[in-house]
Amino acid sequence: MSATVNIASSESAISISGLEFAYGNRPVLKGIDLEIPRGVSFGVLGANGAGKTTLVRLLIGRLKATAGTALIFGQEPGPELADSVGYMPQLNALYEALSVRENLDFFARMLGLSNKEQRVAAVARAMELVGLTDRADSVMSELSGGMRQRVSLGAALVHEPDILLLDEPTVGLDPELRATFWQHFKEMTDSGTTIVISSHTMDDAAHCDTLGFMRDGKFIATGTPDELRQSTGKPNSTLEDAFLFLSRASDDVI
Amino acid sequence: MMSFDRKLAIAARITREIRRDRRSLALIIGAPVIVMSLIGFSFQDQKPVLNQAAPALIATMAMFFVFVLTGISFLRERSQGTLERLLSTAVSRSDLLVGYLAGFLLFALIQSIIILLYTLFVVDVEYSGKLWDIVFILLMVTITSVSMGIFVSTFAKNEFQVVQFIPLLLAPQIFLSGVILPTSQLPGYFQVISGVLPLTYANRALRDIMLRGASLSDVSTEIGVLALFAIAMLAAAAATVRKT
Repeated sequence: MSATVNIASSESAISISGLEFAYGNRPVLKGIDLEIPRGVSFGVLGANGAGKTTLVRLLIGRLKATAGTALIFGQEPGPELADSVGYMPQLNALYEALSVRENLDFFARMLGLSNKEQRVAAVARAMELVGLTDRADSVMSELSGGMRQRVSLGAALVHEPDILLLDEPTVGLDPELRATFWQHFKEMTDSGTTIVISSHTMDDAAHCDTLGFMRDGKFIATGTPDELRQSTGKPNSTLEDAFLFLSRASDDVI
Repeated sequence: MMSFDRKLAIAARITREIRRDRRSLALIIGAPVIVMSLIGFSFQDQKPVLNQAAPALIATMAMFFVFVLTGISFLRERSQGTLERLLSTAVSRSDLLVGYLAGFLLFALIQSIIILLYTLFVVDVEYSGKLWDIVFILLMVTITSVSMGIFVSTFAKNEFQVVQFIPLLLAPQIFLSGVILPTSQLPGYFQVISGVLPLTYANRALRDIMLRGASLSDVSTEIGVLALFAIAMLAAAAATVRKT
């Protein structure tokens, strides 16, 4: 593998400062500052159109910032980091005519696992992790929506990346499957992986180690779920309450 | 970053996807045969006319089917999001382009050769020249057409739009490259346009080979121009391949 990134030398997994992005004249990200330490799960929470996907696409290097910087392990996002970063796009983004195993094998090869033995082991491990070993030879079109989501997650982590960027990974999952996903994520952060998850459901938010509430291209608040709940000043507030409270507060500032 | 393994994997994946899709596979083979039968047998009583038209017909059909095949397949890669996922890996432009070219070239060549052999031996068009020389010219047409398909898919947001590009790109070639009227009989300004269409040169080369028994060295100018088109189209495809 061609990773030349010295991952050990960087304190934060992700550090973003003054990040701005615009599609033409339409600003989407309006100044984001963020430090995400290693080995935590960070939730980017916000409504549709808040800029979550744009932020994730900047982090995988598919978009270039209009101003400011976004660094992963102290490096600009790009192909050099591909070995350390796993990306799960919003769409399932898998090949319909291929089986679970073939899809994972293909993306593993694209991620630089050219050694066949290593790759077979990595694919088997990924299928085990997302619980699809018994469906290894089913083609995508035979799988349910939830299963496809799991294959998509498997394709993002088949190369055991240090950072996982997951764009709305739990959309359309039933509660049971959602719980399973979160169990995986917890295991991964425990073993040192950093996970960034975008979501618009507060159910996901409660599982994250830290959270950022995103609104209209900016973070209006960041903190642990407990800290954010307490920000309302009322007892027994939910994250939903906190989000609405902080949204109103940010409107008042404007 | 150059990676032979990635190119090979992309080509193998495309081959596997097309092989799995039985109906498409049947159409890839069946559609050109049906079209060539229709054209061929409707001219059965006017064999000399058919013999004259055959070289241009073969080249046009090859370009048409290959363009549709590649354009739609690459668009699907963009619209289903797999290209976005691919581009988050260390995959390079050359990996994508060479992988795609190799994957489609296989089917495109099979298709071109079916068109050719069917026209020559079933529709029974008379020809002179070497069969391999004809195949070589068709290979050049195929490379140009695969690259054109990738390039054009950048400008289409869905299958419907790709289909709209077919008449836009192919009709001028059919009318102006000498398939229907010899280019010398076209109005002056159309002759200029005709001069920048790849099919014009493919037709000219195939006519010289098939009707006059020319060798590849006799048509080296046409081959040179076709190579330039192929390179230009590949460059255009390379410039846009990373857009999603």
